[in-house]
Amino acid sequence: MTAITIDGVARSFGDVRAVDGVSLAIRDGEFFTLLGPSGCGKTTLLRMVAGFCELDRGSILFGDRRVDTVAPHRRNTGMVFQNYAVFPNLDVGGNVAYGLKARKLAGDEIATRVERALKLVRLDGSARRWPHQLSGGQLQRVAIARAVVIEPDVLLLDEPLSNLDAQLRVEMRGEIRALQRTLGITVIYVTHDQEEALAMSDRIAVMRAGRLEQVDAPRAIYEAPATAFVASFVGATNLLHGVVVRRDGEVADVLVGATTIRARLAGQMSLDRVTLSLRPEALRLIGAGAAPPPGWRVLAGTLEDIEYLGAVTRFVVRLADGRPLAAMALAPPAATGDVAVAYDPARVVVLGDEA
Amino acid sequence: MTAFLARHAFPAAIGAIAAAFLGLFFLYPVLNVFGASVLDSAGTAFTLRNYAGVLSNPFFLQALSNSLIVAAAATALAIVFGVPFAFCVARLPIAGTSVLLALAALPLVLPSFVSAYALVLMLGRAGIVTGALRAAGLPFESIYGLKGIVTAFTLTLYPYVVLPAVAAFKSIDASVEEAAQNLGAPRGRTLRTVLLPLALPSILAGGLLVFIEALENFGVPFVLAEDKPILAVEAFKLFVGETADNPAAAGVLGVLLIACTVAALFVQRAMLSRRRYATMARRPAPLLTVSPPVRRLGTLYCWALVGAALVPFAAVVVISLLAFKGPVLQYAFSLGNFAELFRRSYRPLVNTLALAAAAAAAATLIGVPIGYVIVRRRSRLSALLDVLVTAPFAVAGTVLGIGLILAFGHGFLILTGTAAIMIIAYVVRKLPFSVRAASAILHQIDPSLEEASINLGVAPLPTFLRVTVPLMLGGIAGGSVLVFVTVASELSSTVVLYSGRWTTMTVAMFQALEGTSAGVAAAAATVLILVTILPVALVYRLLRRYELSTL
Repeated sequence: MTAITIDGVARSFGDVRAVDGVSLAIRDGEFFTLLGPSGCGKTTLLRMVAGFCELDRGSILFGDRRVDTVAPHRRNTGMVFQNYAVFPNLDVGGNVAYGLKARKLAGDEIATRVERALKLVRLDGSARRWPHQLSGGQLQRVAIARAVVIEPDVLLLDEPLSNLDAQLRVEMRGEIRALQRTLGITVIYVTHDQEEALAMSDRIAVMRAGRLEQVDAPRAIYEAPATAFVASFVGATNLLHGVVVRRDGEVADVLVGATTIRARLAGQMSLDRVTLSLRPEALRLIGAGAAPPPGWRVLAGTLEDIEYLGAVTRFVVRLADGRPLAAMALAPPAATGDVAVAYDPARVVVLGDEA
Repeated sequence: MTAFLARHAFPAAIGAIAAAFLGLFFLYPVLNVFGASVLDSAGTAFTLRNYAGVLSNPFFLQALSNSLIVAAAATALAIVFGVPFAFCVARLPIAGTSVLLALAALPLVLPSFVSAYALVLMLGRAGIVTGALRAAGLPFESIYGLKGIVTAFTLTLYPYVVLPAVAAFKSIDASVEEAAQNLGAPRGRTLRTVLLPLALPSILAGGLLVFIEALENFGVPFVLAEDKPILAVEAFKLFVGETADNPAAAGVLGVLLIACTVAALFVQRAMLSRRRYATMARRPAPLLTVSPPVRRLGTLYCWALVGAALVPFAAVVVISLLAFKGPVLQYAFSLGNFAELFRRSYRPLVNTLALAAAAAAAATLIGVPIGYVIVRRRSRLSALLDVLVTAPFAVAGTVLGIGLILAFGHGFLILTGTAAIMIIAYVVRKLPFSVRAASAILHQIDPSLEEASINLGVAPLPTFLRVTVPLMLGGIAGGSVLVFVTVASELSSTVVLYSGRWTTMTVAMFQALEGTSAGVAAAAATVLILVTILPVALVYRLLRRYELSTL
């Protein structure tokens, strides 16, 4: 249970800057997620914390203890690997006891702790079973038990759910979160699955090309993305590039192609060219002639490409200037052809124009 | 900095040990052979006269062309016979394919000159089959000469093509074939345009091994060549011949042998340079459904080829159990040949077992860490190590033997006449086997297992011993047995290096061949077959995992 300070770490492989000057302060007992597309450097950063990847520069501290110069086997981190890495030549009990034996604990102490750890991951009674007799989910539990039983300073999880099927993935993420709360342990969790990140994390760091894009709580990441990349990587969105044509206090009109979209600009923002992010679920289809909720704005267009997904329905509204807007509703739209979509200017996120 | 050292100290140490060992016992002797070839008779001044002398001598030119013709023909025939065999085993519904494959691989560990000797016993001038053919009025002279050498090589070396080709055919994903057929290609066209080209790199890799083996082999041409000169044999005769020992000319022939091998390597690389296919079968292609006659034909072909390769060995065993009156074979059961073989001493058998065991242990101890560094610590250094370790493959046993004697017959370290120099030669020659065996199995062990152990608090070296080595055990055992059996049947460097005290079974048989005691030679051959086949039978399942295709 330790706070972790990562200060200006960097690592290049040849010409590729895998991690390019990352600084993070992870709090004691926090569930912290590194989220990003493959190749963004999240796994490299995790392996730096574990000690499997050397730093070109920067430092890593567990509490006040500097660890980046410490050999990996002396760091006291518990790592759960993507492919579980359960030793096939040891039974379940042998796997869980492995780290305790390395720490030269007494035999009965080891037995007690192994039993407790297996109970924690709901595998009590499986100590004498062999890895090849276990399912993917059970192997995952063995890997987690093996990592937490040594009472590590930090639990490191490298895409631990990516090899499980969808239903088990949802189940296991709940279990991992509950386990973390029970133990109060600091967790660094690596994933490329934004839903997983949003569901589990206290805070998320979104990474791209070796750098941090944004570090925030899940809601802030989704509702107030700092960059267009974060807005589009976390959840689906409509990104619209435009020019501010009128401004009245916090309210601004942005001309996107031939369409004017109203948005709220925070007071200090003084931008000319902007990128707008409109989440599909923030758009609401309204019948022709019906009045929108107070303060909402209306765009006219034609309905296209209805995709029924069960719980929700996705569709595209093509605006008068030909621009498509992805939208989402709980029920399939009743209307066809010419429709109107309403949006709340307060939910339009204004980003600096990156182009 | 300490972490950096810890991370690089192990591979650096292993690399240094390997470089020191191979530098002293491989590069330095080979350099001596090269030196002998370019120094005058006083051994002091540089001269090209040795080359001029050899290359203007029709006899040696004939040896060069004979060697190349034999190697090329054996390679072509091994591919022609081996590829259809591999395809049948990989894709046709033939019963007992695992047994078939195990039997097909067998000639690789059996002494090839035993097969050659069996050909002489059956098809020589006084051979059993020759006699029968003549009695039936068919004109048949004998198997002696280039055709006999090519036959023996084809029958003993074709598995080098079969094993990688089977692996290649099996690694082609079913979808590739389905795509070709979906696009309108009939079966024959699919085979010709997709399956064969995809398997070609593996087939050529196997072909290269056949070529190199055929070029360097000493025993088979020694038995079968008669008056036809062959490089490996002539180099030996020039070096230790009764007439005159001539290290300069022997050196020239040795350098020519190495040059031929290296040229073959470059030809193969050039043929493969634009063909790099990463094939990984997610879904292996299913067995083909064929009509019963086709299936029977395929089955017949496979068993016939395996049979043809193994019949000579079986024949030798049978003949060794028959009585001889002088050189004349009697059709009566007798253990007399074995009594005669062991009459003077069991020493050759004990020597063979001891030397092979020592070489297997040493090659494993050196080879496994090298394999580990090559697979797990990829760097420019480890790539260089890979090349260095594989290089002994390109040097004929006779040439290495000559080099070792030139290097350690005098000077700072004298080893000639000892068991040590023989073991050193074996370890150098067989190191590629143990390194490949180790790296093949390591490729199947996920590195995260080692990282998990380290992460749980076990330092890298104990992790290697506690996690990696147990998981590698199958591959290590397979590699050790392979080294053991191939050393037990080694002749080409043994014949140069042995001394009276360290006579081996292969030498005993070699000497029996030079004499006239066919029965004793057959008995020695049978003992050799047993010595090689028993360990293989014991670990046959382990050996099957061993991948020759990785070379």
